[in-house]
Amino acid sequence: MLELKGVSKRFPGVQALDGVSLMFAPGEIHALVGENGAGKSTLIKIITGLLQPDRGEVHRDGRRLRFRSYRDSLAEGIDIVSQEIEVIPESTIAENIMLDKLITRGKTGIIDWPAVHRAARACLERVGLPLPTGTVIKRLSAAHKQLVQVAKALAADARVLLLDEPTSSLTEHEVATLFGILRDLRDKGVTIIFVSHKFEEVFALCDKVSVLRDGRLVGTKSLQDLTRKELVRMMIGRDIDRAHLGRLDAERGREMLRAERLVRKGKVENASFAVRAGEILGFYGLVGAGRTELARVLIGEDRLDAGTIYVRGEKARIRSVADSLERYGIGYVSENRKEEGLLLQSPVRTNITIAVWPRIAGRIVRAVSRTKETAIAYRMIDGLDIRTRGPEQKTEDLSGGNQQKVCLSKWLAADCDILIIDEPTVGVDVGAKDQIHRLIWDLAKTRGKAIILISSDMPEIVRIANRILVFRDRRIVGEIQGVDDPAKSYAELSAAIGMHLH
Amino acid sequence: MPTSATKRPGIGGRTLGLIISTTLLFAVLSLLSQSFLSSYTMFVISRQMAFYVLIALSQAFCLVVGQMSLAVGAIGSLTTIVLGLGLETWNLPAGAAVVLALGVGVLAGLLNGLLITRLKIDSFIVTLSMMFIYMGLRSGISGGSPYKVPESFRAVGQGSLLGIPYVFLLVAVLLGLVGFMFRSTVFGRRLLATGGNAAAARLSGIETGRMVVWAHVLSGAFAALAAVLWASKLGSAAPETGDDWLIVSFAVAIIGGTGLNGGVISGLGIFMGSAIFMLIKHGLVEVKANPYYANSFLGLLILLAIVIDRVRQIYSDKQKGT
Ligand SMILES: Nc1ncnc2c1ncn2[C@@H]1O[C@H](COP(=O)(O)OP(=O)(O)OP(=O)(O)O)[C@@H](O)[C@H]1O
Ligand SMILES: [Mg+2]
Repeated sequence: MLELKGVSKRFPGVQALDGVSLMFAPGEIHALVGENGAGKSTLIKIITGLLQPDRGEVHRDGRRLRFRSYRDSLAEGIDIVSQEIEVIPESTIAENIMLDKLITRGKTGIIDWPAVHRAARACLERVGLPLPTGTVIKRLSAAHKQLVQVAKALAADARVLLLDEPTSSLTEHEVATLFGILRDLRDKGVTIIFVSHKFEEVFALCDKVSVLRDGRLVGTKSLQDLTRKELVRMMIGRDIDRAHLGRLDAERGREMLRAERLVRKGKVENASFAVRAGEILGFYGLVGAGRTELARVLIGEDRLDAGTIYVRGEKARIRSVADSLERYGIGYVSENRKEEGLLLQSPVRTNITIAVWPRIAGRIVRAVSRTKETAIAYRMIDGLDIRTRGPEQKTEDLSGGNQQKVCLSKWLAADCDILIIDEPTVGVDVGAKDQIHRLIWDLAKTRGKAIILISSDMPEIVRIANRILVFRDRRIVGEIQGVDDPAKSYAELSAAIGMHLH
Repeated sequence: MPTSATKRPGIGGRTLGLIISTTLLFAVLSLLSQSFLSSYTMFVISRQMAFYVLIALSQAFCLVVGQMSLAVGAIGSLTTIVLGLGLETWNLPAGAAVVLALGVGVLAGLLNGLLITRLKIDSFIVTLSMMFIYMGLRSGISGGSPYKVPESFRAVGQGSLLGIPYVFLLVAVLLGLVGFMFRSTVFGRRLLATGGNAAAARLSGIETGRMVVWAHVLSGAFAALAAVLWASKLGSAAPETGDDWLIVSFAVAIIGGTGLNGGVISGLGIFMGSAIFMLIKHGLVEVKANPYYANSFLGLLILLAIVIDRVRQIYSDKQKGT
């Protein structure tokens, strides 16, 4: 039995946890949900000794635990799969998985590499990842990095396993495998704490749920006698429905972007499509289907091997992201906020305004107007409800979901006519997700933007897109029209998508 | 605190520490020696400090975009030779010789930048090779002997206004401009963003390759400027100019709080860094330390600055648990 007693933690300007008492039983999968910034990650970090509580205690089977570091918690059999992917980019899969327990030949201290790779391979097979164990981590997709983390925890043979949004970039199939493993561990008496913003997962996997709001425990419920609606209400205090946001009438819009037979060797094959002003074109597919690669070609980040791009009816030669932004008005919100989206050490204000500096700078000296900058930052902070102490807060200190909102607001501030948005709600809570959906939908509906929405979240894409292209193995394999037709049900649409996928 | 990307200017803990250390050093030195507070010593010290600032900036421009330049001193050296050639051998007017020399510095920086970005070679390797190339050129062309410069050319390096060296005034203004550039201008902030996270900067529409080239160009320009002023101060274009700049450039930039991983710089910090560096050097002379050990002291000083920074970082990370 793992028990928290009155745990509190304060960060400058925010009470992240406020007297939280909770019990986690062995053989139980316990979900932890709450809005972005509610304190879930903080709680997890306190259990694993990555953070020290200001007040309160953590007990295990009646003993008080006092961890001074993550190593101490590993020794106690407590391991974490963290929200921010923490693997060592330059090393191999095997080294990452076996980091703490490299097998040596006898007592010589010489590493027995074949044995290490064998052990690592066994762990990889359990998570269903058929990759060579010698692969360098930085070449892996986000999903595979996440699976490597899971494999690492398995190798550690943890008795308490904490998972902080472990599925945020996994495909359905990988999620299913992971859930199989977790159920298996539960049956072996492992205590599992599962943080997620995806309610489908919480209901499918977990036995109990505890809800945090503003650092306080709202309550713990058994999931059997709880509906989704009740859970949402516990979490954010209001209801959210999942119906489509409304018709987009995109047929009359001007064609903004047209791609003809685009090829990028090994990444994109023969992609042709067009998107109009006022339209939200969804790119659906499994992770790794080539959607992000296509986006990178469209914004000039990667070279095009063949094919033609037309912007506003004219042939475009996009050579760099700067080009796509300034000459063609195309913006791209990266799926990878830590590595490609944010200057983590800089204030929130800088990240929100970085793409518009030239526009708010004086004519001759090119000094950026601080007043305008701060005004834009405040507009975004208010408009997207970003939880921060203010525009000057260091971006790294924001919770994951709020960092995501900062990423998105950079492109809202830039006000591009064509916007490519890649997985905009990974790690974002239901309430904020709803806000972001409405925001994107509104950009198309009332501001006439042409939007490409890349998402692996089927309810999301079906809720806001009006047309969906389905991707598989680097190709567009199907198109579904009239997604915004109120007569079509979710089941019907998801079945249509599924038909193209399989 | 050294300002990352675009934080509001203000004196944070880091800079405050620098100011306190400088004041202490200053007090100790004035007690140690009667002549320290004389206007002559102050003149010499403030002028020397100004050179350190220029040399440190030359390094800091590269550090800010996440790179480094080992060729700082070598560019200074090469520039000095070109200046000497212009003034003595080709008999150019002083203005033309200076422009030519500065141009060579800029070109050398440009070359570094282009090699790094176009061929995608590490800045360490590129600037290391260029350092040797330039130093060889320097020795080959000059044969090791200094060039004469005309009397009029010495005015800037040796003159003063109300007892304050011209060089110091000039550098104070430049430093102010550089500080403003990083804090407020699109260009400066794009340099900082490039160093902060190159991928994110590029995907935000910043041409990071171009920024890196610019950083090296500025680095070359400042090294060249330091060299020209140094020749003016010395009253001759001496080929050994720049020989000790490499260590100076790192020491002052690092003590002054320039981030080694890019994205962080502070004008005031570099100013204080050069003051500390100067005072320690002066102090070593004052206590009659064996000059043969001077480099060891400098090395220790750099290490100390990095250790202090590390300890601060670890301490603040502990508090936040990241
Ligand atoms: N290192 C830090 N310094 C300052 N404030 C912090 C730090 N880490 C977290 N916070 C703040 O503490 C609060 C709780 O953050 P936490 O990361 O625990 O939220 P979360 O519930 O995990 O959110 P998310 O769903 O977005 O991941 C937030 O307001 C966050 O801004
Ligand atoms: Mg979190």
